Amino acid sequence: MARLFDELGERLLRAGVAPRHVRRYLRELGDHLADLRAEEEHAGKSRADAESAALARLGEMEDLARAMMEQSHLQSWSARAPWAMCGLAPLFVLAAAWFVALFILWSGWQIFKPEATSPFGGGPHYGFANIYFQAGKAIYFGAPYFVGWGIGWMAARQRLKVLWPILGLALVALAAGTAQVHASRTGAYGGAYPVSMSFALGSSIPAFLANIQDVAVILTFTALPYLIWRLRQARSLSS
Amino acid sequence: MGRETNSNFMNGVPELLILKLLGQGDMYGYEIVQAIRNRTGEAIAVGEGVVYPVLHGLEQDGALTSRRKMVNGRSRVYYMVTPAGLRRFAERAQAWTDLSSAIQKVLTGG
Repeated sequence: MARLFDELGERLLRAGVAPRHVRRYLRELGDHLADLRAEEEHAGKSRADAESAALARLGEMEDLARAMMEQSHLQSWSARAPWAMCGLAPLFVLAAAWFVALFILWSGWQIFKPEATSPFGGGPHYGFANIYFQAGKAIYFGAPYFVGWGIGWMAARQRLKVLWPILGLALVALAAGTAQVHASRTGAYGGAYPVSMSFALGSSIPAFLANIQDVAVILTFTALPYLIWRLRQARSLSS
Repeated sequence: MGRETNSNFMNGVPELLILKLLGQGDMYGYEIVQAIRNRTGEAIAVGEGVVYPVLHGLEQDGALTSRRKMVNGRSRVYYMVTPAGLRRFAERAQAWTDLSSAIQKVLTGG
């Protein structure tokens, strides 16, 4: 019976039904089956007979799956718009994380190093200033990995076709591997401390080649858990 | 009517029955199915599990809400109809009545 439910769950996920609806459906079917079994046993059937009668009353797997798949509004967003969930949304999340990191850099520069010409270098930081700058750094460098692992987790959970997560991971790695932060005290803003960000991608071939290693490292580390999961999944399905 | 049912013809019937039953009180899936079986004299007999996708769909549309409740040591998902669900029931019931009287008219040669 557990195998039947596992198969049903797998089939629904592959059909794009949102995982929360699949989980709830399987839980309710399990409860319903227990009620049916109890009813059949109460009517005098043996445990084995009650079990098979209950399963027959619950419905064929084909019908149970089709009934759920016909409810198109129970589909997950990643099944409806995988390009948005794997491509656009991760880039937005990455941009938001970088915005926070750059804000920390800019505010830390103003608060803790008002005389320095750059927030980078200029001697070690101590105490709270050190924690403040390190937090910003952790967000900046950690965000691409967490966003990438998030893409892999979502793709695994919702059984997406491999194309979409790989595309999303490549975009994140490309953005993260080529991103550069610039900070200067003087400039168009007069006395203000502008902090800006640029991407080397497309600026020149040498710049791209210089960053390709970073892109490859980020892509490898973010894609690895997902690819391992897919391999294990393929093995368990074939066995 | 036997256990064989025309699925196209039955489209929308489970929804109508569910909304009607829940309009009379909160129920969980098993109770709903038993109530349908009893009140239709088992004329409508489909795989009992297929009631849940209809419930989930109605909840997604805002016609129902649900909450988990412990009953006799077991956790149950109880469904309740919302005002939007009651309106939906009234519309569907009217459509069904119109259709049924039209068919009846044809069958009785009117």
